[in-house]
Amino acid sequence: MAKIGVFICHCGENVGAKVDCTKLAAAMGEHPGVAVSVEYKYFCSDPGQESVKRAIRENNLTGVVVAACSPRMHEATFRKACAEAGLNPYLCEIANIREQCSWVHTDNDKATEKAMDITRSMVEKVKRNNKLQPIEVPVTRRALVIGGGIAGIQAALDIANAGQEVVLVEREQSLGGHMAQLSETFPTLDCSQCIMTPRMVEAAQHPKIRLLTYAEIESVDGYIGNFSVRVRMKSRYVDVNKCTGCGDCITKCPAKKISSEFDCGLGKRTAIYTPFAQSVPNIPVIDKENCIYFKNGKCKICAKTCQCDAINFDMPDTFVDLEIGAIVVATGFQVQNNTMYGEYGYGKYPDVINGLQFERLASASGPTAGKIQRPSDGAEPQTVVFIQCAGSRDPSKGVRYCSKICCMYTAKHAMLYAHKVHSGKTHIFYMDIRAAGKGYDEFSRRAIEEDEAAYVRGRVSKVWQENGKLMVRGVDTLLGRPVEIAADMVVLATAIIAQPDAKEFAKTIGIGYDEYGFYNEAHLKLRPVESSTAGVFLAGACQSPKDIPDSVAQASATASKVLALFSKDMLEREPVVATNNEATCAGCWGCVLACPYNAIEQKDIVDRSGRVIKRVASVNPGLCQGCGTCVTFCRSNSLDLAGFTEKQIFAEVMGL
Amino acid sequence: MSIEEQYRTRAKELLSGGAVKMVIGYGKGTTANRRRPLFISSPDEVERLVLDDVCITNLSGYLVSEGLLSDEKRVAVFLRPEGIRAINILAAESQLDADQIVIFGFDVNGNEVQALKGIHVEEFADVIGSIKEAAPEAAEEELFEKIEKMSPQERFSFWQEEFAKCIKCYACRQACPMCYCRRCIVDSNQPQWVNTSSHTLGNFEWNIVRAFHLSGRCVECGNCDRACPVNIPLRLINHRMAEEVLGAFDHFSGMSKTQEPVLASFKKDDSETFIL
Ligand SMILES: Cc1cc2nc3c(=O)[nH]c(=O)nc-3n(C[C@H](O)[C@H](O)[C@H](O)COP(=O)(O)OP(=O)(O)OC[C@H]3O[C@@H](n4cnc5c(N)ncnc54)[C@H](O)[C@@H]3O)c2cc1C
Ligand code: SF4
Ligand code: SF4
Ligand code: SF4
Ligand code: SF4
Repeated sequence: MAKIGVFICHCGENVGAKVDCTKLAAAMGEHPGVAVSVEYKYFCSDPGQESVKRAIRENNLTGVVVAACSPRMHEATFRKACAEAGLNPYLCEIANIREQCSWVHTDNDKATEKAMDITRSMVEKVKRNNKLQPIEVPVTRRALVIGGGIAGIQAALDIANAGQEVVLVEREQSLGGHMAQLSETFPTLDCSQCIMTPRMVEAAQHPKIRLLTYAEIESVDGYIGNFSVRVRMKSRYVDVNKCTGCGDCITKCPAKKISSEFDCGLGKRTAIYTPFAQSVPNIPVIDKENCIYFKNGKCKICAKTCQCDAINFDMPDTFVDLEIGAIVVATGFQVQNNTMYGEYGYGKYPDVINGLQFERLASASGPTAGKIQRPSDGAEPQTVVFIQCAGSRDPSKGVRYCSKICCMYTAKHAMLYAHKVHSGKTHIFYMDIRAAGKGYDEFSRRAIEEDEAAYVRGRVSKVWQENGKLMVRGVDTLLGRPVEIAADMVVLATAIIAQPDAKEFAKTIGIGYDEYGFYNEAHLKLRPVESSTAGVFLAGACQSPKDIPDSVAQASATASKVLALFSKDMLEREPVVATNNEATCAGCWGCVLACPYNAIEQKDIVDRSGRVIKRVASVNPGLCQGCGTCVTFCRSNSLDLAGFTEKQIFAEVMGL
Repeated sequence: MSIEEQYRTRAKELLSGGAVKMVIGYGKGTTANRRRPLFISSPDEVERLVLDDVCITNLSGYLVSEGLLSDEKRVAVFLRPEGIRAINILAAESQLDADQIVIFGFDVNGNEVQALKGIHVEEFADVIGSIKEAAPEAAEEELFEKIEKMSPQERFSFWQEEFAKCIKCYACRQACPMCYCRRCIVDSNQPQWVNTSSHTLGNFEWNIVRAFHLSGRCVECGNCDRACPVNIPLRLINHRMAEEVLGAFDHFSGMSKTQEPVLASFKKDDSETFIL
């Protein structure tokens, strides 16, 4: 006989204000099989949990239903309490009468009625629940960090410094990401390269870090603690084991007029190249698209120059297979292409540039060696207009969200410009100045007060060329009048967007993303660095636009998550796994294909003489994640999911 | 020589040489316009084979009869293009080995029977490809157009009335080559998801479940429709589902013997328009 305990939680006012808990408790008390039905203000509190435990012991309960908040909040709490009272934790279920009831309804009577339905349906399920034992799986103590920007490097270093193995995969030729492109950084104006390069070198030389550059993730299988990852090593056409990084090939390469991606089109590079002088590793790659040999079959000057015989035009892509326990995704961001603002003339007028291009102009290692020169004729601009939110907070043409860093870097640009061109004049069009952060408001005040940046509150409507000047027309909304400025250069604080392949890549690793392609955290407030996939963590700007301090902090947070995971020998996994009824399975293999975790194999059933009499599907409980996809697919209804069996779900539905 | 005679000769050759152990074809039925399946294993019986414009039943389902193919010997079968597509699906779903099947392909145009060239299922790829292209016209039918024009409520009551007639005889399932499960979901009673009694709700459950199980798989052979003793226009639901999967996933059932089932496969560029 079932003896179910029903524990109805007021959740303070959250449930109590809408649902008549006394009435609910009374109604559940009447329901067949319910031995105890009580209400309390906060069952998740210590005394609350104690009372549940006491009730289990005193009444020999065979199952527990806690009618409260979402199981995402406290299922673990109550299951643990049940286990402490000697009841198998899987005999405890949560009836969600908060998110699914009190929070979404206004009418008290109807909400109470619905709460009764939800709770009753859970009681019916629990009556049919089975005792389940957790599954133990070993943990591979090796982390994979994807993306070698500051976030990825920080995460890799923190994990490696704690003594665990890391594989750091970067798809470009060098570590560094966007930070390597920056000149000086807010809010302290320290030189980006100077603080970045030592980190890059440290990561590359760390005995616990295996660095794979010019490498892409091909596939990710498995689950927390036990991922198998395949990495494609794109052919550099330069043998990393032979090349000494002398750079002779680069000097001799005759294809010199290629627009440099690293310099955002403001500088030139050769076909065999390293993106920047401090590249880590300092080993060039051949850009197949632009290499004269690959185009015409003649040249090979680099190969002739190379003293180490490191160049190999027939080098194929190769693959590296890795066993991984945890993954940190740190794939960063891109800046939006501003050509959608026809009225700003980006892409049309060479002297309308974006913020990242300005960083290259201001950078000592950039194409102008740090001199501010406008791209069209190399002249020093005397008047510069900065346009903030050129793409951000603009649902019609750009993106709806705030890119978070542009207010700060525009203030920084104004300062850098003032420090380099003493006679120069800056105007900054802005919507609001968002300078929240340690030292941030002081920083932007400094731009205004010490470096005389003229902030104009308002939008720019048009930029056009006239008499060798860029005419900027906008409106000063504080003074309520139109303004027109004749500028020598215009800098757009373009929006930070997700990597163009972010959604695609999310599917490769199996994590969620928002409408813009930024990766979704498991809980914005309480689990901000975990993805919704166990064992996969998020660091840096791939999760949302971020500056360096935030990226680094988040990266260290992921490292602590990874290390916590690696501190155990065995992981306990939920025993929510699928099983197959071999008698009824039709062997169509639909489930084998449908399973996103490759957890289903084909199994031969043989007779005594070893002859195959039937082929059926068989679930590997070590791989199964309990998603239930196979169950819904199977036409013959042969698959069932422990903890959510068809019988249990059916009872739940019929209980409504 | 008529196609009927050609195929009889070929059947004789195959059976006497031992190349196939059985030929599944059509024989005379009880009335002039009826053909019934014929299973022959001796060369002397080939004269009983009939091939004319009323040979419409899709015979592919007989191939998956328990034990028929387990000795790995070949079996020949008369098939129209829909039947050939069915072979592809059965092969793709591991129910048979396509190499074991020798096809006597034919099609009926007006009341003329045409032979289709080829022996193995791969050789009919062009024929199947051209049906895919022509698919929209294939089901042009007044009733279908009429249902399409209905409002959702009207359509619902239309089907409600039709399904109310269902007597749960499961003839549709027995006639369908795709319904090969050893235990159909309606026969599963722990729990009993689909109500067995033939009241409107139970009937709805059954017919909708079947339509779902056939989506991306039904080859529109019409076996179910013809088998239904109460004349529910089952072909129309199946055709509608076929149009859906074609539109959403460019999936045309039975294109090849390695085609992945549409509801189990996932492509990165699948449209997500239907995900809310
Ligand atoms: C114009 C501008 C000025 C800025 N100025 C400042 C400043 O002054 N101060 C400050 O604090 N912040 C500044 N920032 C912000 C700063 O650049 C970012 O906070 C920081 O770069 C984020 O680091 P990240 O590692 O998350 O991303 P990224 O720097 O974008 O690095 C991501 C890395 O991942 C790699 N990658 C991407 N996809 C894959 C893949 N699929 N597989 C393998 N590798 C992959 C990329 O190649 C890249 O190397 C500025 C940004 C801009 C645009
Ligand atoms: S989907 Fe069902 S019938 Fe098909 S192989 Fe899997 S378990 Fe068997
Ligand atoms: S529940 Fe089924 S589909 Fe999901 S992981 Fe397990 S075996 Fe695969
Ligand atoms: S559902 Fe009907 S039309 Fe479709 S394959 Fe089965 S029997 Fe043929
Ligand atoms: S053949 Fe017709 S009556 Fe029989 S179960 Fe199918 S739909 Fe119902």
